[in-house]
Amino acid sequence: MADRLEIALKPKLFDAEGAGIKNKASDYFGICPDSIRVIRIVTIDADLTPDQLETVRTEIFTNPVTQISDFRPLDFAFDWCIWVGYRPGVKDNAGHTAVEAIEDVLGIRFGPGQGVYTSRRFCIRGGDLSRHDAETIAKELLANDIIQQVRVYCADEWDTDTGVGIIIPKVRLDHTPTVTTISIDSDETLSKISDERNLALNPNDIPVIRNYFLEPAVKDERKAMGLGEPTDVEIEYISQARSDHCNHNTFQGRFFYKDMETGQAETIDNLFKTFIESPTRRLQEEKDWVVSVLWDNAGVGRFDKNHYYVITGETHNSPSNMEAYGGAITGIVGVYRDPLGTGKGSRLIMGSYGFCVGDRDYSGELKPRLHPRRLLDGVIEGVRDGGNKSGIPTPFGQVTFHHGYMGKCLVFVTAVGMMPSQAAQTPAEQKTTSPGDLILMCGGRVGKDGIHGVTASSEIFSESTPAGHVQIGDPYTQKKMHDFLLQARDEGLIRFITDNGGGGLSSSVGESARFSGGCEVWLDRVPLKYVGLDQWEIWVSESQERMTVAVHPDDVSRFLELSEKHAVESTVIGEYTDSGKLHIKYDGDTCAYINMDFLTRGFPQWEFEAEWIPPGMRGLHEPVIGEPAEYGELLKQMLARPNICSREWIIRQYDHEVQGTSVIKPLVGKDRDVNSDAVVLRPVLTSERGLAFSQALLPFYSEIDAYDMTACTIDEAVRRLVAVGGNPEHIGGVDNFCWPNIQYDPKDNPDGRFKAAQLVRACRALSDTCLAFGIPLLSGKDSMYVDGHLPGRYGETHKLSALETMQFSTTSVISDINCCVTMDVKFPGDLLYVLGETKDELGASEYYDRFGYIGLNVPHAEPEKFLPMYKTLHKAICSRLAASVHGVYRGGLGVHLAMCAMAGNLGVSADLDLIPARQDLRADHLLFSETPGRFIVTVNSENQMEFESLFKEHPFACIGAVTKEPRLEITRQGETLADVLTADLKSTWKQPFGNLV
Amino acid sequence: MPSGNTNNKVKALVLTGYGLNCDVETAHACELAGARARCVHINDVISGEVPLEDFQIMVFIGGFSWGDDHGAGVIQAVRMKKNAGERLLKFIDSGNLVIGICNGFQTLVNLGLLPGFDGNYQDRSVALTHNDCGNFRDDWVHLRINENNPCVFTRGIEHIELPVRHGEGKFIADEAVIERLVRQNQVVCRYAVASGKPAEGRFPVNPNGSIHDIAGICDPTGRVFGLMPHPEAYNHPLNHPDWPLVKQASARGQISHTHNFVTGIHIFENAVQYFQ
Repeated sequence: MADRLEIALKPKLFDAEGAGIKNKASDYFGICPDSIRVIRIVTIDADLTPDQLETVRTEIFTNPVTQISDFRPLDFAFDWCIWVGYRPGVKDNAGHTAVEAIEDVLGIRFGPGQGVYTSRRFCIRGGDLSRHDAETIAKELLANDIIQQVRVYCADEWDTDTGVGIIIPKVRLDHTPTVTTISIDSDETLSKISDERNLALNPNDIPVIRNYFLEPAVKDERKAMGLGEPTDVEIEYISQARSDHCNHNTFQGRFFYKDMETGQAETIDNLFKTFIESPTRRLQEEKDWVVSVLWDNAGVGRFDKNHYYVITGETHNSPSNMEAYGGAITGIVGVYRDPLGTGKGSRLIMGSYGFCVGDRDYSGELKPRLHPRRLLDGVIEGVRDGGNKSGIPTPFGQVTFHHGYMGKCLVFVTAVGMMPSQAAQTPAEQKTTSPGDLILMCGGRVGKDGIHGVTASSEIFSESTPAGHVQIGDPYTQKKMHDFLLQARDEGLIRFITDNGGGGLSSSVGESARFSGGCEVWLDRVPLKYVGLDQWEIWVSESQERMTVAVHPDDVSRFLELSEKHAVESTVIGEYTDSGKLHIKYDGDTCAYINMDFLTRGFPQWEFEAEWIPPGMRGLHEPVIGEPAEYGELLKQMLARPNICSREWIIRQYDHEVQGTSVIKPLVGKDRDVNSDAVVLRPVLTSERGLAFSQALLPFYSEIDAYDMTACTIDEAVRRLVAVGGNPEHIGGVDNFCWPNIQYDPKDNPDGRFKAAQLVRACRALSDTCLAFGIPLLSGKDSMYVDGHLPGRYGETHKLSALETMQFSTTSVISDINCCVTMDVKFPGDLLYVLGETKDELGASEYYDRFGYIGLNVPHAEPEKFLPMYKTLHKAICSRLAASVHGVYRGGLGVHLAMCAMAGNLGVSADLDLIPARQDLRADHLLFSETPGRFIVTVNSENQMEFESLFKEHPFACIGAVTKEPRLEITRQGETLADVLTADLKSTWKQPFGNLV
Repeated sequence: MPSGNTNNKVKALVLTGYGLNCDVETAHACELAGARARCVHINDVISGEVPLEDFQIMVFIGGFSWGDDHGAGVIQAVRMKKNAGERLLKFIDSGNLVIGICNGFQTLVNLGLLPGFDGNYQDRSVALTHNDCGNFRDDWVHLRINENNPCVFTRGIEHIELPVRHGEGKFIADEAVIERLVRQNQVVCRYAVASGKPAEGRFPVNPNGSIHDIAGICDPTGRVFGLMPHPEAYNHPLNHPDWPLVKQASARGQISHTHNFVTGIHIFENAVQYFQ
């Protein structure tokens, strides 16, 4: 028997959640309810006695000060009631913690099949609301049908005795786990099976797979194990391991690149090796702070003698595009497992985000699955809960709006950790598996989650099929596991650790077994969320919050004891061997037996045609714009553009102070409301050393040339670090590529060759720029196929491809945090300097975009020239000569002079005639060109001589001063071009998203 | 940090596990204040493996215990009450100190350790509920300390700035309870504007809509203290958002060199000094 408890705030209390929904209904859809009250529902499927029910009601689920509750439906009057609950198999985090609490309070254990399910209902008042209005609120605000079920009741349809009834979204598979063999009698047969099973095997791989299983030696060995034709466990494993996601076939591919203007052709064999691995290896030799790169889950750099920092970045685009909250929380919580699984394990010290979505106010004809506004709301909340509930600060992030992301949004998530240099007297960054070590799986349980990614989304839902392809991350379970594993590490219990991400156990066990040279896995021991999973599903499931750990048999009992204390489930699921075989058993029977080296040999490289058509040949040219007259108004307009304006509402939802390490915060200045160039943490609390972190995203420049997009993005990420005091001698980089499909197809992807050429150029820029700046790539990932097909007005569909995008993250170690500096101007009378030359580089700028132009003169980075100046600036900062430092980024000097003034709540007067420029430029070009390599610095006039003498080798000029009168005054040839109150600038800059919390 | 014979040091228990997350900086803050801090898993307290008698200060730290899915701090309180409730009461009764920060404050009120009227440490009569703004919020706030409060932790502090980071920090209680808290000077700190005047409910100075701008309360003895802001996150002058400006001003002689950032460590120092 199940019981349903309804809980609500006392009617006299303000319902903040209901009010928030009400506001959104009105802002987003013009639907104006009078009030919305939220009722939480806890459905307990555990045969509790009336006494037990009353105990849990009062002790756990009802706060006597704020709440009322009842096992009968609460009597809240409504015109419409919307009930929202999860579909079967969707992670119900609150349901799980309710079980823990009930078990504890009652001193009982839930039996198999018993559980607690949470849901909510919303009581909406508003006599004018139609059923359509209520359904809009239900479907567009409260629920996503991929993971949730919805019921809408009008007052007449409501039964005050039964309410919503007893709804138990329990998974029932009624299936006996079965290993199936796969016929390989011909390439065609295997190809057909690949299609039927959604394996996405590459046609070129199929003969290689068949030949392996047909080898006489292999056949004999398999026969001895009782195997004939390959099993589904084996084929699914191979499919996972060969996927672009796990194997990075695109970046490992061979590119036939041709410049269509010059006719010059070249072949690049393996983008990764050529443009990422090789420069990083070179730099690793020069930079002794690079501890571990290019093999582990994340890269490792030295923080100080006793501590290393660990960094990696990921994207979680497709799942977020389907279910924004679930995708984003799974993404951030997932990327946290990479540092946790680096070396013998790292403690997480920060995360960051990058969101790329369509226009928030989009009102055109295309119908994306989720409107960009809803999508953005969801991903913001996902990263919020994932970060905050993990106790990991999220002090940095960026949001970019562009129509191209309507096809698929991008959700970048980055994680930074710290490890001691030594863990239990061994180098903490090293790890290996040895024959005899046991394989343990820790953390969550396995369900049908994430199997075959989002391809499963087209399946038809039934009442009890798990909606597992979109997951909801569980930071609570992972935080417990994080604390446990770090203690285990410090006790020397961990030999090897890695996370279960893409490919699940097949990937984590498969890869870790390469060190020992083999493994034997007992799939029947893997703890499951519900019975009935096939063996192959257990093997490739991507259920979250799991780590795979190698433990020496002598240490297993202590490991399990610690695990139990931390309330973490850990299970021995196999053993590492040196048999040369990946050997999987279920109930004693072999269901997979594959040579360990099979996947690393003999598979053909992917090949791409890449055709570069230079921008001029594509018809791009500079626009013909006469000079504007109203600069003050123009500047305000620029500040209010979505890609420039304030996003304080996002930043304040993210805990950026937890762990007590904050030195330079995401928002700085007098009113703590303007974005810092970078953030600085003090990750070792007893030390005065700092870790600086920043990121850049400039996809717009890809409209002209992805080479310059990449180079400028890297330059911006470097300048951001230098601006706060980062040391240019120590810059670590992380590249995250998100690219549309580059495989040419005359019908489906007619510009595939061009996009491939853009990728080649971007990778070349990555290599060139990193070598010039001396940035080893500590980590990086790629996510291809950022395209979407959106329905239009008449039922037709349109393919939308995202801009070729690369997010670049940078780290630096600061030897004395007291030298850090912020971007806000601080004292009237301080001299205002611009460092670096301004050029006629407005191609794909914010200014041109304001008028709908792309232009041609894309900003071009010159890292060899920039770096010496950055080093000089670093020297000036260390000598405490700079009162404020800010880079000039998107929007150009005009926008960023305004930022400095707004942050300081002071004035700035600037004479454009004095700006160092390579050629004579018009005022609007000086103000809005996006030439990289530039800074705005203010200096106490007492330090003028010393500051200027440092820079005599570099282009720089004093162009004005900080003024007490809080206004931005820009002059040209003695005439005032703009004179705007700083407060006006700020209110315009804050206005677009100003009413969001 | 003064060193010395650690056996003589005041010992602070920092409660960890189950999604709590401010352990590292809270332990650091206790150590900076001169205590010897030990992070102890909730289950080691419950099992008795770590006896409370070994400690003088117990810190209920911030975080999301059990995910806070059923009301912030609720399950932690239920679990502690059921499994270690008597020992907690004995710990307080023995003259020791308890501080609850953020999730710890939420736990203390759900345990009934606060407000502790008439020595009753079991009743839930106040609550911390969802912020009026409807969302989690990270910001620095000004706190005005009530100079007549009996609270051990805030002695000598009139005004302090600290970060808040919570989604459920709105302090509410019946009017009579609020009135009694005020009358008994159990309202230790209130959200205020920079000048020290009460916020009077104005957002974001009062970040959550707390009744009477209440940010923290103590029991009548002053030995049990709970607050939403995070003193442990202000463990270094450079945690303060204004430090770059102050540093510049100080370099120019525009403010006295002794401009002191009153860090959150002061609160822990008061606790340590209470035993010395």
